[in-house]
Amino acid sequence: MKLNWKRWLAAGLAVGACALALTACSSGSSSSTSAKQTISWMETSEIEGMDQSVVTDSTSFNQLNNTMEGFYRLGKNSKIEPGIATKTTVSKDGKTWIFTLRKNAKWSNGDPVTAKDFVYSWRRTVNPKTNSQYSYLFSGIKNADAIIAGKKSANTLGIQAEGNYKVKVTLDKRIPYFKLLMGFPLFAPENEKAVKKFGKKYGTASKYMVYDGPFVQKGWTGTNLTWKLVKNKNYWDKKAVKLQTINYSVQKTPSTDYNLYQAGKLDAAILSAQAAKSLKGQSGYTVLQTSSTQYLEINQAKNNGLKNLNLRKAISMAIDRKGLASAVGGANKPATTLSAPGMTIVNGKDYTDLVQNSQTKALCTYNPTKAKAYFKKALKELGKSKLSYTILCYDDDASKKAAESIQSNLEENLKGLTVNISSMPKKSALSRGVAGNFEIFLTGWQADFNDPISFLDMNTTNNSYNWQKWSNKQYDKLVAASKTTSSSSQRWNDLAKAEQIIIEQQGVTPLYHAASAWMIRPSVKNVVFNGAGANYDFKTAYVTK
Amino acid sequence: MAKYLLKRILYMILTLFVVATATFFLMKLMPGSPYANEAKMTPTQLKIMNEQYGLNKPVWLQYLIYIGGMLHGNFGTSFQYSNQPVSSLIASRLGASCQLGLQALILGVVLGVIIGAIAAMRQGTWVDSTATVFAIIGKSVPNFVLAVLLQYYIGLKLGWFPIAGWGQFSETILPTIALAVGPLAETARFIRTSMVDTLSSDYIELGKAKGLSRIEVIRKHAMRNSVIPLVTLIGPYAVALMTGSMVIENIFNIPGIGEQFVKSILTNDYPTIMGITMVYCIGLVIVLLITDIVYGLIDPRIRLAGNED
Repeated sequence: MKLNWKRWLAAGLAVGACALALTACSSGSSSSTSAKQTISWMETSEIEGMDQSVVTDSTSFNQLNNTMEGFYRLGKNSKIEPGIATKTTVSKDGKTWIFTLRKNAKWSNGDPVTAKDFVYSWRRTVNPKTNSQYSYLFSGIKNADAIIAGKKSANTLGIQAEGNYKVKVTLDKRIPYFKLLMGFPLFAPENEKAVKKFGKKYGTASKYMVYDGPFVQKGWTGTNLTWKLVKNKNYWDKKAVKLQTINYSVQKTPSTDYNLYQAGKLDAAILSAQAAKSLKGQSGYTVLQTSSTQYLEINQAKNNGLKNLNLRKAISMAIDRKGLASAVGGANKPATTLSAPGMTIVNGKDYTDLVQNSQTKALCTYNPTKAKAYFKKALKELGKSKLSYTILCYDDDASKKAAESIQSNLEENLKGLTVNISSMPKKSALSRGVAGNFEIFLTGWQADFNDPISFLDMNTTNNSYNWQKWSNKQYDKLVAASKTTSSSSQRWNDLAKAEQIIIEQQGVTPLYHAASAWMIRPSVKNVVFNGAGANYDFKTAYVTK
Repeated sequence: MAKYLLKRILYMILTLFVVATATFFLMKLMPGSPYANEAKMTPTQLKIMNEQYGLNKPVWLQYLIYIGGMLHGNFGTSFQYSNQPVSSLIASRLGASCQLGLQALILGVVLGVIIGAIAAMRQGTWVDSTATVFAIIGKSVPNFVLAVLLQYYIGLKLGWFPIAGWGQFSETILPTIALAVGPLAETARFIRTSMVDTLSSDYIELGKAKGLSRIEVIRKHAMRNSVIPLVTLIGPYAVALMTGSMVIENIFNIPGIGEQFVKSILTNDYPTIMGITMVYCIGLVIVLLITDIVYGLIDPRIRLAGNED
């Protein structure tokens, strides 16, 4: 009996050891990915859907950007590159656009991509019954606003098919950034046959989709964490597509993705703030700058002193933005403008260079002495000796760190000012924002497309995003003028002036521009990254040995 | 027994009903809407969306509709994943959490019982002290710390097991170990205490005096009596482990339900919140029932339905 028991134990241990050894072997032998035109990429959250008309999140748009194609694609620095359109004619008043489509463009199911697909897609998106939360980007296309508001039928939208390969788009007014929009997957065509065939299932899994872009998606089941993009054999420009496969996985823990990167299982890994600091300068270290800005919205609608300009100036100048950006971690840059740098080049210079003057720079630069002086003035004007405000922020790590850093800056530099922090889940904080139920809101904005109007439009008096209720007639006028002028230099001037006003008046208080630090394998070349809209384009990416 | 079961099942249904009701109304108190871009939507769009999701109706009616749907197995459609039915969302995510939880439970409890028993048998020796120290460490080190360490040293440095992922058995090993250590330590401590008690009982002495071997005494008498209270511990463990651990799932890229639950709350995805809560709750009441039944089966002294005289 005794012997038996021992024998069993020994046998069990032996089997266990063998199993361990076997699994160890099998996991070690499957790690060769190099040289082949295959890369392994990551996203930080799941795909929420593949129906371009309804999705809102960046992971989904990144997928759509590589699997769908509209009139154009966006290359490096949002440069317009050819897509389904071969020729574009614009009327003198900028209100009529005629796109001629290539005849060799096909859907992944073999159907030709035709003008009707564009018409169908656009009408479907603006139809309020489709539940598109991005349909506001159609604003300016004839009748779009009325259709979205439910006052007109989707068939009246300013888009018409002229034969199979010509699309005529009519605008209510000139849209200076219209070409940029045409590179965003929201404006890509949709295959009516497929949408109708799959019905409610359309875009809920890889197999319920058809694609007209460089890649097709495989293996996404609706909620899983791994899938693939495979070269689309029906794509009109397949010769330009080098990558055969992009293996995707969702990575939610930076230490895990960096471990996988080191083990050769991932070719791109987002870094934690700590890892970013220690890996800075190493081969593969890459900073990806998004077109986004974090700022304070100081509520002007409440009668509690925040309407006082000197107080807002004091707050802005009492914040050490460099310290703040580094406290939050990553590769964030202190902000001196509302628009993010790197979005648009105007006459060889970054647009934000046009905005900055000595006054805007001074107002967004840490200067405790001047801050104190402004604060003293403000207290005198308000007839108070003490003030107390609450900063509303999200409850993620970065927001809380930022709020704490601002709190300590303000309380240290502006004696008599008490700052409280109220952090809550994003949805709750946003609903307070929309309702104007806050004193100071630490929030941010990422541009939908790489044009400063994306930041400036939302702060005009009647915009639904102007939660801080800041209002300036001159600002409104300049933003409106920028939309109607036909001269692009005039437009940049108008926008830059408007942005100077909002900084000088502290309509918002810019804090920092968010950037993330990554390790990207140096052998992976030509991945296009844009900070706004859909971020990645792998069409011409490739792997070197 | 049948009467007892029927009574318990009625209680279970009542519990589920109370949980569903409380969750539903509490959830509706959460601020914010389920829409990602509310500020940019026109009133008409909001109206149409609210109509489609049934959010335009009074809360009590929404509640009745929801309960009605639930009784027919319809948990609604997720707001967060466009057009994805909540039932398929849960179905696709629950499997991984269950598998991982079950593995961790088995590993933790089996090893825990062995270590606990050895410690009790060698009471007061270095073996006992080592087991105690191990149990304290296992209980006090959070499983995510262990997960990160395992991943770095065993996964990356030694390369014995995959760093992360889900699909092959080898990928489940590191997260199983990370999750199992907590229950392992607790079980070991528990078994040790209860076995030390049992070992000093008269009937053990009697067994020894009758000439039974040490192993025989432990296996047949001491172990059986010491394990009974463990059943109480295993029930809640099973539910806690099988409903998923958000942190472990995130670290090892496991498509489990734990993370999904937290995300649904953060995004006000009402149907998903309700669906997952109900699944958790159903799991818990079933496991508690099984625990009670098993209790009665392994220990004849425990009667399930009152006095049977």
